[in-house]
Amino acid sequence: MKLSWPRVWAGIAVAAGAAVLLLVLVFGLHRDPKAIPSPLIGRQAPEFVLPLFDGGTLATPALHGRVVVINFWASWCFPACYEEAPHLQRIWDRYRDRGVVVVGVNIQDQDRPARDFIARFEQTFPNGVDRLGKISIDYGVYGVPETFLIDRKGRIVHKYAGAVTEETLASEIEPLLADADGASP
Amino acid sequence: MKRIRLVLAAVIVAGALIYLIVGGIRGAIVYYTTPSELLAQGPSAVGRTMRLGGQVMPGSRRWNGGTLDLRFTLGDGNATVPVIHHGAPPDLFTEGQGAVVEGTLGADGIFTARSIIVKHSEEYRPPQSP
Amino acid sequence: MMAILGFLSLILAVGCAAGGLVALLAGRRLRHDPARAAWGRVAAAGLFAGVTLAVVMMEAALIGFDFSIRYVAANVNRATPLLFRVAGLWGALEGSILLWAWILAALTLFVAVGYRGRHPDLIPSVLTVLFAIALFFVGVMVGPANPFTRLPVVPPDGRGLNPLLQNHLLMAIHPPLLYAGYVGLSIPYAFAMGTLLSGQHRDEWMTLTRRWTLVAWTSLTGGLLLGARWSYDVLGWGGYWAWDPVENAAFMPWLVATAFIHSSMVQERRHLLRMWNVSLVILAFLLTIFGTFLTRSGILASVHSFTQSLIGPVFVAFLGLVMVASLLALLARLPQIRDEGRLDSPLSREAMMLLNNVVLLTMAFTIFVGTIFPLIVEAATGAKVTVGPPFFNRLFVPLGVLLLMVMGLGTALRWGRSGAEETRKLGWLIGMTFLTVTALGFAGIRGAGLVASGAVCFMTVAQVGEYVRGALARRAATSESFPRALRSLFALNRQRYYGYLTHLGLAIVITGIVGSQSGRIEVQQQLLVGQAMQVGGYTLRLDGLVALPGADKLVVAAPVAVFSGNSTAVAGSPGSPGALDILRPSENFYRQARTPVPTPAVRSTWRQDLYVVLMAFDPAAQSAVLRVVVTPLVSWIWVGGTIMVIAGVLAGWPSRQT
Repeated sequence: MKLSWPRVWAGIAVAAGAAVLLLVLVFGLHRDPKAIPSPLIGRQAPEFVLPLFDGGTLATPALHGRVVVINFWASWCFPACYEEAPHLQRIWDRYRDRGVVVVGVNIQDQDRPARDFIARFEQTFPNGVDRLGKISIDYGVYGVPETFLIDRKGRIVHKYAGAVTEETLASEIEPLLADADGASP
Repeated sequence: MKRIRLVLAAVIVAGALIYLIVGGIRGAIVYYTTPSELLAQGPSAVGRTMRLGGQVMPGSRRWNGGTLDLRFTLGDGNATVPVIHHGAPPDLFTEGQGAVVEGTLGADGIFTARSIIVKHSEEYRPPQSP
Repeated sequence: MMAILGFLSLILAVGCAAGGLVALLAGRRLRHDPARAAWGRVAAAGLFAGVTLAVVMMEAALIGFDFSIRYVAANVNRATPLLFRVAGLWGALEGSILLWAWILAALTLFVAVGYRGRHPDLIPSVLTVLFAIALFFVGVMVGPANPFTRLPVVPPDGRGLNPLLQNHLLMAIHPPLLYAGYVGLSIPYAFAMGTLLSGQHRDEWMTLTRRWTLVAWTSLTGGLLLGARWSYDVLGWGGYWAWDPVENAAFMPWLVATAFIHSSMVQERRHLLRMWNVSLVILAFLLTIFGTFLTRSGILASVHSFTQSLIGPVFVAFLGLVMVASLLALLARLPQIRDEGRLDSPLSREAMMLLNNVVLLTMAFTIFVGTIFPLIVEAATGAKVTVGPPFFNRLFVPLGVLLLMVMGLGTALRWGRSGAEETRKLGWLIGMTFLTVTALGFAGIRGAGLVASGAVCFMTVAQVGEYVRGALARRAATSESFPRALRSLFALNRQRYYGYLTHLGLAIVITGIVGSQSGRIEVQQQLLVGQAMQVGGYTLRLDGLVALPGADKLVVAAPVAVFSGNSTAVAGSPGSPGALDILRPSENFYRQARTPVPTPAVRSTWRQDLYVVLMAFDPAAQSAVLRVVVTPLVSWIWVGGTIMVIAGVLAGWPSRQT
């Protein structure tokens, strides 16, 4: 291979162009083009009282000081709710002793299929029904599943539309737990 | 000699091309803003085609079937912008949800939307219950 | 069960691809070793068997409602019709990669077996490249894009295809056709790279792959055409092309492939443009990978975008690898692909071909810039922008006119130096064009439309002129009748005369595009049942609101009676005589979708299309909002496009000579 200057320059030029292109594409992977920043991010999470499947109710003011994961789901939401259910349970198992609460809110569903869903996935975190749909309206829930991550001060930090994974949630929860200002766990 | 002519021709062609493309792009870039950003721009924003994204404020939707005028307000938690659009609201368009409109801001502060691009999200609906 | 078998088949495929690659690379020293070629055949067969089995398993799962597989649960539900269950294979990300891999495996096997014993110094290198590409695609399926991922608990039903994709028969055909085109371009790429890698031969790869390239090009043309038609029939905005990033991603390889088809003729005839052609085919292949990446990584929002996944980084890496490898091979073998001789004169067919390449590449570059620009801007400044259709439309008008002129000139001029006959031809061409432009100008056509029409006329007359000239010459030589002489032209020189036919098809398409962009009328109006509205020479009367329950959807249709003329008096009572047609635009409420999907109703004539969409309705008030679009000459696009595809098919049809 004869190395003549024009050839070297041509090679360098093309290589540089290609590298720039690839960098731009890699950058592109880190953005969500469809993301309209939800107006709820950074705001106080709306309070509610949730009737639980196990009986009794869960009132959100009681959760202040803890990191809260609110998951809106339904038994007819295939396959995404079926994908993420084990992940949510694992998050609950992993973090419940560290001051994290996972709350399931069942919307637009029927009692029997919802209970079956919970039983099949052996879910043990608090799970209840948004009977009148008010909670989902307050949170601007459009479809299922949607998951909200709330910090110790009650502010909505993140909203996920679609199935979440244990890794994604864990990576966002850890910094919130390390944040030592405010109430104790 | 022939080589120089060729290179010169190539440079001229490339130059014309770049001029066309850059000029063309500049005229066709549509910036994306939020209500707060739009209001912050003040009078300089009037007349420029842009995209405006925010939440359709609950209670703001007004639809006149006769004149086909759809009015609503887009907000982002800090500021709101009134919007008017001629034509039936797209099916995904509901209050409390996000929407992006493309159009121009009028001198009267009302944003005239030529098109409404509603945020596309996973769509689910429960089966008809017995 | 099916999931496990499917996954194991993919593992088999990976093994065979890797094994084949290793065997061929290891045996490189022994150039003419028949054992090496045999291993290649075995590996190709294993690869094809593995991927085919995976496809069969997936189809069985889709048709049989096996919701334990995540992909099936996401793309099919119990109400999905059989055709769309089968088509669910290419409905989403992992399945489309499976389809891609399948076509690639089939082509690899074909190369391995079809060229058995021939070109023993080239084919192994070609297969090496093909195995490497196949290894990537099947490897991706064993990793981040596994189509056989299982769900921990089997849901009782599935989600189903996006209703937009289920609304039309074309959904079943458009993606496979497009993928056949994409994957088809791997063959000339593999042959070109094989030539570089083996250091053997210079032009052989092009003649060997000429038919492949034509088939790939024809498939791409068909795929693009169907995509535009589907967009028109389904999306409800009355248009057929939105410069959507995914549309652009398919258009760019088509432009480069078209350029390549022409410049390859120059190489075959005059042995020129060697490096140019190798670079073109590399570029075309890179664009198909890039297009796949754009569509599947979700970095640019689009009507088509599959949701984001891990696929993105993997594809970028592959793209980078292919770029680097191709560039290195090209630079290393530069002497091998040096041209002998040079372009004789600027007024020759080869010069026009080169010029047409430049214009086509410019078009592709324009699209590339426009598509990538938002990413660059956001990376540099953080501002979110979009580049809208005006950019592309504005640039494509002058480029299109230029292309048409070059096409006309290229057809009229001949290989090598042009002489007196060509001068006469050109004179005739210019004269005819001038007359037509003047006539059109008197008829009221102005501005860009007039320029475009002139250019179309120039190109069309050039094609027709060649047919007439050729047939007359043949008639003089053999005393056949004119029609017979014309027919025998096609048999004598397929490439040339079907090529002219493709150009004619394109002229019809461009006429349709120009017509539909100017003179378009769009009106939205709310009507009560029984009321009428007037749009562009038609009177439309809303005759009712009808609900029709279906298997997987509820359809609300609004029968609209169409009358010609602008008189409401014409629209008497429902069903009155004189109605041209009854159109039924509808809204489809699918079980799994939150919002309805509107289906437009279209009445096409060669002159114009009447397009009606049901935007909204109120059963209580018995009213509906209709959007009505009247577009001139749209059907010319479909007709012209079909001619192009037919010409492409016939040009590549196996003939007795081969």
